[in-house]
Amino acid sequence: MDSTKRLFGVLFWVFTAALFAGAVVLAFAFTPDEATMGAVQKIFYVHLPVAINSFLACFVNFVASLVFLWQRRRTWDDLATAAAQVAVVLLTIVLATGMIWGRSAWGHWWTWSPRLTLSLVLWLLYVVYLVIRPSIPSAQRRAVVAAVYGAVAFLDVPLVYLSTRLMPQDVHPTEVVLAPSMRLTLGLWFLPVTLLTVGLIIVRRRALALQSQTRAVLAAAENDGPVPATIHPTGGVL
Amino acid sequence: MSRVWSQIAVLAGKDLAIEARTRQTLGLVVVLGILIIVVLGLGLGPQQMAPAPAPGMGGAAAAGATPGAAPGAAPGAAPGAAPGVAALWVAYLFAGVLCFEGSMAVERHDGALAGLLLAPVDRGVLYLAKLVTNLVLMLVLALVLTPVAVLLFGFDLSPAPGSFAAIMAISFVGLAAVGTLFAAVVSSSRLQGGLLAMAIFPVSLPLVMTSTQMLIRLFGQKSASGLSGLGILLAFDVIYLVAGWLAFELVLEP
Repeated sequence: MDSTKRLFGVLFWVFTAALFAGAVVLAFAFTPDEATMGAVQKIFYVHLPVAINSFLACFVNFVASLVFLWQRRRTWDDLATAAAQVAVVLLTIVLATGMIWGRSAWGHWWTWSPRLTLSLVLWLLYVVYLVIRPSIPSAQRRAVVAAVYGAVAFLDVPLVYLSTRLMPQDVHPTEVVLAPSMRLTLGLWFLPVTLLTVGLIIVRRRALALQSQTRAVLAAAENDGPVPATIHPTGGVL
Repeated sequence: MSRVWSQIAVLAGKDLAIEARTRQTLGLVVVLGILIIVVLGLGLGPQQMAPAPAPGMGGAAAAGATPGAAPGAAPGAAPGAAPGVAALWVAYLFAGVLCFEGSMAVERHDGALAGLLLAPVDRGVLYLAKLVTNLVLMLVLALVLTPVAVLLFGFDLSPAPGSFAAIMAISFVGLAAVGTLFAAVVSSSRLQGGLLAMAIFPVSLPLVMTSTQMLIRLFGQKSASGLSGLGILLAFDVIYLVAGWLAFELVLEP
């Protein structure tokens, strides 16, 4: 069982890496340089899929938080934490690529436009999620509080979106007309980025589960109690 | 239903009676709020927020220094509106967090929280009672801080005082709904001070964004479209009142 799992994990990452390589080749060799922005426009192929996937990670955090509050099983807490960690990484990439784009397209690193503000608030919400967790000593309470915060934070997203639209001017285009080759490349970029997101969430969840099991074993060893039998030190790569 | 109301009245009355006798939260919070407004005023610099000096008064020299701010040069533009609103919100947020923390800290002494949890009262009612307490505290806070900001930042509330009060009241309900929920976490963990602020601020950013935009439109640009964000504020209130009412029980376990 473990060896097939491991093989599957290796295949998964090799496949994802190959797709990434293909996507990079497509972006640089296949698509033409955009007329006004030149090579900087290629950021777009990374920016949009990562942005969409960061919302996906936030949504996973929301669902896992709700399921945890319903079932109170540790594994959902681990999944929610993993999703929040991945969401913060992806949102950081979104903000960084977006700022580079903004600098070359509009001349400013930052404007308080609706979508930039939305990304920034999302980033703040999930960074705070990760900061709050270690401040609560009891594992059970930490999980409950984090789950409540995760649910509350995600409920905020539509409200943030609506309130940002009250702000003046939007630099983001609402519809983009792309050349066919650009559209194909953009579509292909979605595959590896989505696989990376899903893979990272699964790997992080597994790491967190092992971490808490290790803590349980150590605590049991200190108290000379029975060692929990649930630990699998040779878990798969995934 | 009337039983719920009387329960809320008893619970909130208890908190407010304690506060009225000790004034341990309000004393601290009001001073902090005034301090924040003063610090922001000094940080922004007098040029940013000085009210346009009235002609013929001692401000003539100041008018000479900032000719662009002379009255009539920019009709309809109130220079103090945007920084004033921003300063008010920062003061409300920080002082509000201390209100929420203070009203829950009362329960930490002498096992009061355990007694409260043992009382034959629905936990949702406990949430609503704390919410009422926090709203009363914030109202007192606002009654002191708003005139201070109006004076120091020289922004004129007279065009639409009713709208200002309504926008702020609706925003306070939302802020207190979020704050009361997270303050319950504080009472039984190390999530204190700065961390409580960290939990409350990002979640309440839609309130801040919406109401500041509305107020700037109302007072700065004097346009009638200032009330277009009212739906967002009300939606925020409803969503977080329901979420807080449902989740309060979960986070309150001592």
